[in-house]
Amino acid sequence: MVSRIKEYIGRFLTLTPEEWNTLAETFEVRTCDKKVKLLEIGEVENYIHFVVKGLARKYFYKEGEEIITQLAKEGELISSSVSFLSSQASGYVVETIEPTTFISISKAQIESFYKLDQRWEKLGRLIITELFLEKERWELERICFSTRERFVRFVSGNYDLFQRVPQKYLASYLNIKPETFSRLKHLLQKKTSSNIA
Amino acid sequence: MRGPENEQKYLEFIFQYIHTRIGSLSREQFDLFRPYFKFRRFEKKEIILDQGEIEDNLNVVVEGLVRKFVVTGKNDVTLQLATEGHIIQSEISFHTRSPSPVKLETIEPTVLVSLTYESVQTLLANIPIAESLGRALITQMFIKKDSRYFNQIGKSTREKFLDYVNNHPHMLQRVPQKILASYLNIKPETFSRLKHLIRNQK
Repeated sequence: MVSRIKEYIGRFLTLTPEEWNTLAETFEVRTCDKKVKLLEIGEVENYIHFVVKGLARKYFYKEGEEIITQLAKEGELISSSVSFLSSQASGYVVETIEPTTFISISKAQIESFYKLDQRWEKLGRLIITELFLEKERWELERICFSTRERFVRFVSGNYDLFQRVPQKYLASYLNIKPETFSRLKHLLQKKTSSNIA
Repeated sequence: MRGPENEQKYLEFIFQYIHTRIGSLSREQFDLFRPYFKFRRFEKKEIILDQGEIEDNLNVVVEGLVRKFVVTGKNDVTLQLATEGHIIQSEISFHTRSPSPVKLETIEPTVLVSLTYESVQTLLANIPIAESLGRALITQMFIKKDSRYFNQIGKSTREKFLDYVNNHPHMLQRVPQKILASYLNIKPETFSRLKHLIRNQK
């Protein structure tokens, strides 16, 4: 179970066996059913969750409608990150889509690591930088590509999510109207079946 | 504006900025950073970084106004407007050392205080406080970015416009309307209409 998170952290910093043991002691493992809310709007986020198995999403409400801003699958982090970093009330809900197992680390633990050694600050800086860059890339994606291009790019890069995530969630995440999403999906299926024929 | 006394003033600005906004720092600690700062001056409408170039600088605006944008189809889309005290750079290019997807251009004559990528790495490796300042800095940038995104997609056009104008009243004078409209993702016609609305209110 921990090999995935080890691999994730290894992208940023190679931990010594001692460092790894210290970190692993703080892991809180929990498994949730599908559609379980880990955090509600207005609460303060105290955790960063790493998805070991399953699928979760993050969203907020715009005039009663859910707007999904993140989908997190195995090997990815999910948290109401601004609330986590700023200790302010969350503007987002974090909720599972499938039954999901997380490895979670609390804010208090992370803060105590920062005081322990600069290597942990470095790890924190590198992870936050990566999350920042992901946001920037996503914003550029929305600006630079048409609805149709965004759909095609997403499906070709994330075919697993395309199959696992309910269509209305995907439409919201990609900021595509549900009707348009259905039409694009139809088009794709026609194309695929004609390729096979 | 070009004398060394101004450089002194800009460095003091940077010190106060780090000390009050990012993390506490003594003057002795700040002195360790000083040799790495570069002063860069630009005329108005000058390109600082072009699409496809590799970003080598972390810039703080100490005077002037810079925009970050992408050229897509026939329109520019503005992602950021940076005034005095703001950090601006092509973050993706800077951190991944890859060609920049965005352009940086001045709107007004501008002075930037910059650190090169190499300087940043040297500082992180050699100055103990740099690591926690670096983390605090990227954390703030992350929070800012998220709140802009949240406002962009979570608010109505009218709300976006009024929030922005109320929080940045001087920007209506400093930034061409077309650029502000693209930054707020509002059609230029709608932007004009909304602007009349606030005039009529007053």
